[in-house]
Amino acid sequence: MRVLTYLAKRLAFVIPQLVGIILVSFLLVKSIPGDPAVLMLGPTATPDAIAGLRQSLGLDQPLYMQFFIYLKNLLHGDLGTSWQTTRPVLDDLIQRFPATLELVTLSLLLAIIVGVTLGVYAARRPNGWIARLSDAYGLSAGALPDFWFALVLIFVFYTVLHWAPAPLGRIDMVVIPPMPITGAYTIDALLAGDLEAFWSALSHLALPVLTLGLLNAGPILKMTQATMEKMLDSDFSRYEVLSGVPQRLVVRHALRNSLPSVVTIISVLYGYLIGGAVLVEIVFSWGGAGQYAVQGVLNSDIYPVLGFVLFSAIFSLIVYIVVDLIYVLLDPRISN
Amino acid sequence: MSKFTATLERELDARVATPAAPLVAIKQLSVEFPGSTETKQVLKGLSLSVQPGEIVGLVGESGAGKTTLARSILGVPPAPGRISGGEVVFEGRNILDLPEPELRKLRGRRLSVVVPNPRAELNPTATIGKQIAAMARIHLGVSRKEAMRMAFAMLRDVQIPDPERRMNAYPHELSGGMAQRVVIAMALICSPAFIISDDATSGLDVTVQAQILSLLERLAADNDSAMLFITRDIGITAHFCSRVAVLYAGEIMELAPREDLFLRPAHPYTLMLLAAFSHSPKLRDAWSVPETGRRETSAKGCSYAGRCPLAQEVCRERPPPLAEISPGHFARCHFPVVDR
Repeated sequence: MRVLTYLAKRLAFVIPQLVGIILVSFLLVKSIPGDPAVLMLGPTATPDAIAGLRQSLGLDQPLYMQFFIYLKNLLHGDLGTSWQTTRPVLDDLIQRFPATLELVTLSLLLAIIVGVTLGVYAARRPNGWIARLSDAYGLSAGALPDFWFALVLIFVFYTVLHWAPAPLGRIDMVVIPPMPITGAYTIDALLAGDLEAFWSALSHLALPVLTLGLLNAGPILKMTQATMEKMLDSDFSRYEVLSGVPQRLVVRHALRNSLPSVVTIISVLYGYLIGGAVLVEIVFSWGGAGQYAVQGVLNSDIYPVLGFVLFSAIFSLIVYIVVDLIYVLLDPRISN
Repeated sequence: MSKFTATLERELDARVATPAAPLVAIKQLSVEFPGSTETKQVLKGLSLSVQPGEIVGLVGESGAGKTTLARSILGVPPAPGRISGGEVVFEGRNILDLPEPELRKLRGRRLSVVVPNPRAELNPTATIGKQIAAMARIHLGVSRKEAMRMAFAMLRDVQIPDPERRMNAYPHELSGGMAQRVVIAMALICSPAFIISDDATSGLDVTVQAQILSLLERLAADNDSAMLFITRDIGITAHFCSRVAVLYAGEIMELAPREDLFLRPAHPYTLMLLAAFSHSPKLRDAWSVPETGRRETSAKGCSYAGRCPLAQEVCRERPPPLAEISPGHFARCHFPVVDR
């Protein structure tokens, strides 16, 4: 019950938050120089044609009117149309957002496994070789550019070893993608019982997931290590050792107490990666949402950009609400 | 020849004073804390033995090495401390020599510590019932259900109000006194042979303190456990310790049966401690300490010389030995105060 009232309160704030985010991003996107009408019609267009297009696009209206028109359309589920794909932005994003989400979620899972495991072992022996390895790893993971690392992986595993498929999209050209249900190819293929599509999708995920997962394990590793060291050094861990609790259990209890910090950094990374994965998406021709948005920015195609911002904002808000609920479950001291 | 006889007699005397084999014998225990500039000797070859069923008091001020001793007996000195020498003989074995898994099985099972300030010492994310039951599960290998039953019985034994509710409470929901009872329950659930009470009542109201003390004493007696009762309050030791040791700067300054210590204190530091608790202004003035600044840390000489009103040249030159001034009564002083 307490959780429900809390949820209701949080959700009530979501709408004004979203309107604020849309307003800011609308103004920012509008301030990008370049006239979409000119770009759409090409270099040979007559001034009359351009003026006509501007009028039909509503570009001759004052900025605040344009914003209200956009908001009004949003309420009707119309996110505008991309002039590049000539399709409604909503349709494009429904196809592309799950692609990014699948990639980012799996990458994050890998990052959690690598980061938390290494972090825990490093914290157990602050001067041991795993701790030193972790320091070096954390440093290089933060320093390496992801697109460069992706190219190295492609060179090694595709060009040289031929283990990975060509970095051209999410599934083999010859394999028919499964019927979209969730939009994630692996899940949809499993739901359809299509193992061939599943393996093809999985093998295409391998390198981009490896790239993003290994590089983003750095912050999780550092956070786990630092918090675990603090917890293992705390009074209650020392008391457990004094009471003859086996080290395995002492570590488990310390990890349990470290989870809120680890969950925080994971949630921040999750929201960041939705847009932050764009370079890796481009390298692997992923066709994800980030790639879509960047193309929109480069071509003054504002509706894909705004749509992407809206989707990402909703996603981040959901992640943060879930994380707040997880805090309540993890720490009995948070009662309100 | 005569010298030999005298030594032999002394040894015989010592055996008369402590007839049975000790349950725990701490021998020449030294603990050092490495610092950035110098290594600090926190325990300087401390020896003390406890007989089965006996309650020995250990009095010392803050920084004397009380907690270091309590934890080092179990081989886990507080960080960054390091045991640099000595033995802790328990049931005939030096437990500090045991491999870690062996020693771990003794901790909390046969030798356990009641810690002070227990709200910080309990795991904040586990319920009280689970934490007490974990001791039984780990050390006695009982089932989860049986462990919970034992934990509940133990909570009742430590007279915690409303034990049903407390089983599911988290540490932050307890008062200091209740948390202290929980820690006692954890220390005693495996019926240890030896209990170390490390300043267990510091930070509690006086009335609660008295309750906890009598509870601890009763449970130790019911269990037939021996106890090392560490405190900063010399008055408390008068109530139920059969022998009392006075710790100063990592050394035992005086060790005596309770009556001897309180009626015939021999070390100036003990006198100072007793005078501080005394109601007689005359006594307090005579034994008050003019300055309580930084303790002398010079290696040679008596570590109390800097604060001692009786100190002479020799006290700063040569460390006094722990000498037996009457049967079972030891004092580490060149000029012990004897009846005059």
